This record gives sequence, structure tokens and C-alpha cells, in this order.
Amino acid sequence: MTNNFDYDVLVIGAGPGGYHAAIRAAQLGLKTACVERGAVGGVCLNIGCIPTKALLHAAEMVHASHRAAEFGLTFADTNLNIAKLNGWKDGIVKKLTGGVSGLFKANKVTLLTGQASFVDDHTVSVDGKNYTAAHFIIATGSDPAKLPGLDVDQDSIVDSTGALVMPDPVPARMLCVGGGVIGFEFAQVYNNLGSKVKIIEFLPSVIPGADADAVKEFAKVMSKQGIEIVTQMKANRAEKKADGVHVELENVKTGEKTTEVFDRVLVAVGRRPRTDGLNAEKAGVTVTERGFIPADKQQRTNVPHIFSIGDVASNPMLAHKAMKEGLVAAEVIAGKPAEQDAVAIPGVVYTSPELAWVGLTEQEAKDKGYEVKTGVFPMSASGRAMTLQSTDGFVKMVVEKDTDLLLGVHIVAPHASDMLAEAGLALEMAATATDISLTIHAHPTLGESMLEAAEAAHKQAIHIVNR
Amino acid sequence: RNEGRVLAVPAARQAARELGLDLAAVRGSGPNGRIRVADVLAAAQGAEGG
Repeated sequence: MTNNFDYDVLVIGAGPGGYHAAIRAAQLGLKTACVERGAVGGVCLNIGCIPTKALLHAAEMVHASHRAAEFGLTFADTNLNIAKLNGWKDGIVKKLTGGVSGLFKANKVTLLTGQASFVDDHTVSVDGKNYTAAHFIIATGSDPAKLPGLDVDQDSIVDSTGALVMPDPVPARMLCVGGGVIGFEFAQVYNNLGSKVKIIEFLPSVIPGADADAVKEFAKVMSKQGIEIVTQMKANRAEKKADGVHVELENVKTGEKTTEVFDRVLVAVGRRPRTDGLNAEKAGVTVTERGFIPADKQQRTNVPHIFSIGDVASNPMLAHKAMKEGLVAAEVIAGKPAEQDAVAIPGVVYTSPELAWVGLTEQEAKDKGYEVKTGVFPMSASGRAMTLQSTDGFVKMVVEKDTDLLLGVHIVAPHASDMLAEAGLALEMAATATDISLTIHAHPTLGESMLEAAEAAHKQAIHIVNR
Repeated sequence: RNEGRVLAVPAARQAARELGLDLAAVRGSGPNGRIRVADVLAAAQGAEGG
């Protein structure tokens, strides 16, 4: 591109969406800069996906060390060094963020550090210095939503960022306000490390948006592990006292109020798009009342040369969605006919077992007018699951009755997130349940539960009695 | 078809965009009328030739 601007593309934010956009733009020969006011890698790498998964793995190892007694492995003493755990987790983050910086250098993406503010529709100022660009990609992300009455101090009342720093000793009594993905992941981390954990959810069901059967099974398994789950309950206010945080809880149905005491309270009630300091209005970019900067399938905002991707653009707020949108925006700017045309975006709760889904839930399929059949294969019938001491859960397939077209896959199982990759490809390829059942899956694996769920949809699974 | 979804593999969707073709107008040769890359290329040739 030839123009009088400093850059062809200026990306605002270096999270998953932003760094994907910047690297792809540079790969396509565009002169690219990326502005970041915090740490490269954004929420996902620094205070999101990666550090939570590190904690979940460590917590699962602690849990596994207890269960190993079943097959005769006992430990004289299991002792967790909390400082070392926090340090190990931080080390992974450092390595990955360093990796992104290295990729920027290798691809000749200029990293500008500071807060970007639009001056006009072709200029941003970064901490007082102006930069012009032909195109902008807004990738400013999101922040944890606040809850009135519960003031986050990142000590005894934390959001997801504060919850990542494991206190020593581990809190005895933990409350998770919000029964979503983040609430459950931290609930299991703290539960496995010894906290008595309670989750409260305002809605009638936890993990809203996931398949009802899968959520029911998931909640059952989490309860069995010792996590207390209460739905239709809200937290009105929290007060710090000498003996802990006093939280007033209210039953949403009956209005009944009780006060309970906890050592740590996590507020995980959703996330809000982040546009503070951006001055989007100076570029003429529309920001909705809820703070989103909406974009079309090419990720263009209402201003054609300004794009919006990731959490700030729309729900669901997921890293892999932001990454895809980043690639689309960069490719469109480079003149390619890209668009966000994914059939489905997978969702995962990285607990053990995991809850993972892609495509339509049974209810969504019915609401859209499909006549559906389902195939369910329980992990209790999986030889591989038995060898892994993890027989809770199932694979549920939602299939269109007449055409056999796969519509959605819902999994509660260990490594469900990895099993989901096959389901995602099947949906993108418009596969039928027959296509999956005719595919030879390695035995014994967890993945062959996909094959058996497809067979179950045809009432001819081999390892379960078909009804 | 419910929700009006056109069944096409990702590479066929990309090919259609590159050729400026409306996928809904492409005849799919795969199962359930699934559109493959070859179908898109054939439709494009047909459009040029026709």
C-alpha cells in the first residue's frame, strides 16, 4: 500500500485478537503497528486462559495424587508450596508473552506502548504522540463486570485477576458469585487445593448457553467433587470483618436473606467490553450503550476503514473467536475476500472433567425448527476413561432426524476440549452422524466416544445397550 | 432447510468469496447437497461460459 500515513494498519490492543490481526497484516505485506497499554498477550495470556489453566492443572495433580491410592500409589506426604505454584504459573505467562513479542519482531510489527486515543478517524495519540494510519483494528478487549455491594480489593474480595494469585494458606471458605465458566474453573482450583467452595448463580441454571443435559451432568459431577452449587441466589453485599467476609445472600424466588461468612469471595458475573480512554467518538465509531463496538462479517465498524474484533466487538468473549476475527480483519484490509463465516464457535469449561460444546444445543436446534435425534455415549462405558479414573460424563450428539446432519456436540469428559476439535471440523464440513460413525477412531481413546455417540444416534452403539 | 444454512465446506466458502459467487446459487454434489470446492469452480466456469 502506498499512502501518506505512518502505517497501513494500526492495531489497538495486543491480546489474542490484536496480535493475530497484527501478525497476519504484516504477513500480507502491510506496514503494521500494534499499540498496547498493558502487557503483550492481553487478558488471555496474562490474566485469563493461560494462568487459569496452569492452576487447574496443578490443582488436578493434587486431586489425582489423592485418587492414586485406588490403584495402590500412596504418598507419605503431599505438600504444596504455594509460592512455587504462583511462580511456576507466572513463568509460563512470561514465556508466552515473550513469545508474542518475539513474533512481533520477526514479522516486523512495531509495538507501541501506551494508551491509544483517537484524535480523528485517521489519527491516534499514544501517550501524547500522534500516529496516523490508513486502517485501524480496535481490539481493546474486556474487563470483569462489577457487582454493586461487592467491592473488589483483590485480597479477600477478588475478580478473576485477583483469584489467580493463590493465597497462603489457601482460604478455608470460598464463595464464587456467578456460575459461569470462570466461576466453575476457579471453584475447582480452590476445591482441589482444600477450600470449601460454594457457587451461587442468579439464573435457574449454571453455564447459561450450554446444553441442558450436559449442564445437568456437569453440575452433578462438580457437586460430587464437593462443590456446593446454589442457583437462583444472589449476593447483595459483602462486609469485611475480623472473622472473614460477611456476605448477604438472597434467594431470588423467595426473597429470603441469609448472611454467610467466607475467607475469599470471587466476583465472576460476566465481562464488559473495554472502550475507556479510546475516544472512539472522535473517529465517528459507534459504541453501543453496553460499550460494544459492533462490526459486520468483515469486522468493519460503521466507519469503513476502522475494524473491531474480539470481546469489544461482540459476544461470546472467547480467545479463539477473537483470533479468527483478527485474521479476518487483517485479510480484508489486505484486499482479500475474508469473512467471519464459522458455522460454530466452541465453548469449554476447563475443569476435570471438562464441559465442552460446539454447535447447537438440543433446545436451540428445536427452536430453529429442526426435527432432532440425539445420540449419547456415557464415559462409564469407555475403557479408556476407566483406565484414566474418569468415568463421569458423556458425549451427546444432536443430529437432524431426516438428513442425519450433525448439528451440535456436547461433552462432559476428560480432555473434552481436545475431543471437540473433531466435532468442530465435522460441523464445518457439514458432516453427518454417519460420516463420524464410519470414521475409524483409535482404540482405546476418549475420542472414540464420538464414534459411539454417532452410532447411538442410529441406535446401534456397540458398547452400550441401545434404547 | 431449517435456518437457511447452505451446506458448504470451509474451502468452498472461501473459493466462492474469491470468485464473487453466491453460494446459495451453487449446486452441491456432496451428501445432502454439500458444496465442495469443485462445485464452486464448476459454477464459476458455467457463469463465465454461459
